[in-house]
Amino acid sequence: MYYIDLGVTGLSFGCMYAMMAVGLTLVYGLLRILHVAHAAVFALGAYATVLVANASGSVGLGFLAAVAVTPLFGMAVYRLLYEPLLNYRADVPMIASVGLLVLMQDAFRIAFGEQGVTFRNNRFAFTTFDLAGVRVNAVQIAIMACAVVVFIGLHLFTTRTRVGIGWRATVSRPKIATSFGVDVVKVRYMNFAIGSALAALAGGLVGLLDNLVDPMIGYVVSYKALAIIVLGGLGSVRGTLIASLALGMVESYGTIFMGQWLNRDAIAFLALIALLMIRPQGFTGTRTV
Amino acid sequence: MSAYDVSLLSVIGLNVMLAVSLNMISGFCGQVSLGHGAFYGAGAYAAALTMIASASVALSLFMGTIVGALLGLVVGFASLRVRSDFLAVTTIGVNFLFTGFVRKQSWLGGEMGISGIPGSGFSSAGNMVMILIFAALTIAVSFYISRSWMGFAFRAVSQDEDAAATLGINSGAYKLAAFGIGTALAGLAGGLYAFFTQFITADTFDFILSVMLMAMVVIGGIGSTAGVVVAAVALTLLPEAIRFVNDYRLLVFGGLLVLVIRIAPGGLADLARRLLMREAKA
Amino acid sequence: MTAILQLDDVAVRFGGVSAVDGVSVSIAAGEFIGLIGPNGAGKTTLIRLVAGIITPDQGRIVIDQKDVTRNSTAARVRKGLALTHQLVRPFREMTVLDNVALAAGYRRTSSPLRAALFVEREPEYERAAALIVRVGLTGTERRLAGSLPLGQMKRLEMARALALDPRVVLFDEPLAGLNRAEATRQIETIAAVHAQGITVVLVEHNLEEVLRSCKRLIVLNNGRVIGDGAPQSVIADAAVQEAYVGSGMNAHAVH
Repeated sequence: MYYIDLGVTGLSFGCMYAMMAVGLTLVYGLLRILHVAHAAVFALGAYATVLVANASGSVGLGFLAAVAVTPLFGMAVYRLLYEPLLNYRADVPMIASVGLLVLMQDAFRIAFGEQGVTFRNNRFAFTTFDLAGVRVNAVQIAIMACAVVVFIGLHLFTTRTRVGIGWRATVSRPKIATSFGVDVVKVRYMNFAIGSALAALAGGLVGLLDNLVDPMIGYVVSYKALAIIVLGGLGSVRGTLIASLALGMVESYGTIFMGQWLNRDAIAFLALIALLMIRPQGFTGTRTV
Repeated sequence: MSAYDVSLLSVIGLNVMLAVSLNMISGFCGQVSLGHGAFYGAGAYAAALTMIASASVALSLFMGTIVGALLGLVVGFASLRVRSDFLAVTTIGVNFLFTGFVRKQSWLGGEMGISGIPGSGFSSAGNMVMILIFAALTIAVSFYISRSWMGFAFRAVSQDEDAAATLGINSGAYKLAAFGIGTALAGLAGGLYAFFTQFITADTFDFILSVMLMAMVVIGGIGSTAGVVVAAVALTLLPEAIRFVNDYRLLVFGGLLVLVIRIAPGGLADLARRLLMREAKA
Repeated sequence: MTAILQLDDVAVRFGGVSAVDGVSVSIAAGEFIGLIGPNGAGKTTLIRLVAGIITPDQGRIVIDQKDVTRNSTAARVRKGLALTHQLVRPFREMTVLDNVALAAGYRRTSSPLRAALFVEREPEYERAAALIVRVGLTGTERRLAGSLPLGQMKRLEMARALALDPRVVLFDEPLAGLNRAEATRQIETIAAVHAQGITVVLVEHNLEEVLRSCKRLIVLNNGRVIGDGAPQSVIADAAVQEAYVGSGMNAHAVH
């Protein structure tokens, strides 16, 4: 049973990573920028969720607020930080992004306290179900359900709608997309908007799961997300999904074996570095390096 | 000179060593390293253990330098394979791997770190002088390198490795050299730190420190030794001088990093150069 | 005859297609070779093989009697090869003088250790200044290389190549993008380089200039050598004409 418990944890973490990482991989696919500050978006979403939930009494409203606010933030980051830096070498916007992340996390600490904010009325984190002998938390179920909905939705969006198809085309072939009349700039904004909303969702769910939103909430996930997008293929949504689930599972079961050598966070990095050494260009369909 | 002043000057000296050595890697040679804290830490731990085992200050500092350099060369080999932004991510990973590993090893003190490191035999003022001497040496080495043909080749590698190859420059060898020298100095600083505090924990050498060091390099002016020294001193003093900055340290550092990259990517050194040029014309 | 540059049955495949398919060429010291071929003939790939940017799947590449097949570009440069890029690549943020001086300092930069031991740059700056005058870039010494117009950048490429004291220089489309006057000037400089005793391999689309200056013409098509010899006879060869006409090249130049 313990192993299945680990499996459920791994799966729910994997789903959460997936929602977080999808935004990151799309930004990379589009702009070749490692949007490290994406973690700040994640954290912003978590804070928005908990603060609005506490103020209004409704967790649902909290999520709504998060999903409404974060796209604006994400788009602002693109416009103010990345767009002017597009002509520099790739590490310049990345370092700026790191600076932004550090800044935001400290801002959260200053504004809302080092200890973080807890949900005042969180029935969900404490509601567990017993499915065939395995204890599953309501939030874990919500995370997995969310992820399923989100990814099916994304799939339909990018294959059935005009806008979505244009988006996919722009990510994989920016130059050709323009000649087909796709407004590349609009696509970029949409990219950041959607990616940010998803990260916010993930953030809110994690906050709900732990019943706590603290300044460090985005910290480690952000670097794991980096590992994930490289593993899954930069710019590839499907690859990111697979890599996220894989990482969630490997972490869960990996702590059994590697627990004495490395802590959980380091494991993801070990995998990342090992893979980059084998395939320095990451796992993409195309060789961009 | 009060105990506070001695302590402050010591920290300034260490930060100068770290920032200037990072500048050799990321500034001179253009290899982004967001994991400099790990080499600092590796040096500190190596020195601490050596001191406990041997009670020799010289040997401890030597071991700190060597271990820093060895770890640096390993990362340097990584730089041969991956492009710049992936290298940045790899170095972030190295930082987390270092702290993650150290925290788990009981022989390295685990979460509690290593305390009660035997003193160097010097007073605190003596330690401070030792640090400042090494800091001055680091600055001298940095100036020398930038004037030498090694610095010339570094610039080429930093701008365009493939073009450098057509000039007969073996970019890989130079990258390794940059990492080796820069991380050796960071390791040395680590050893000095171990004597300075006589107590080390993994937390000190975390990713945040690496970001702050990179901020010093960026703000000072990538590639400019003088600029980076000024930035290191200023950014160490700022939290001490201004209470606000001390409480909101990361906010300020992060904010400065973003601002400088956006508005004056060349850092202070570039601003100074442009100001001087403008005055020369007028 | 001692070959300064030799290719022995060199071949490379990309995804099932043979870009270069068993090419054997022997170039003696002091020759002036023109290398031509229609688009897609494999010229670019061949250059990259000689330069060391890609490694062949089979065959050997020998520079000055030394097998460099597994050597990096930098190592080949040290064995006497110099190249100018089709897409020019100066160090954009360095001055013109610095660009050439760094090339002139190749003895100093052979290894990081060696480079760390030397500081003195005067001799190299002097050599660089002389070369800058020679290629016709006088006055641009202090300008940033990235700010030069194309014609001047190409001359910078040449100055850098010459600064390396090469035995053989591979000129990759040195006339591309230049107007008539600039092209003539460039070819004259290349001829002057050859007159010094340096082996020249000129890869060019501009057939007129190539035919005028080279002493031996090699034609590539579909990754194979289909012509190798005196320019006029090679050009008149039926197979060569076929290759060019078949690919829509300007027949006027081919006569």
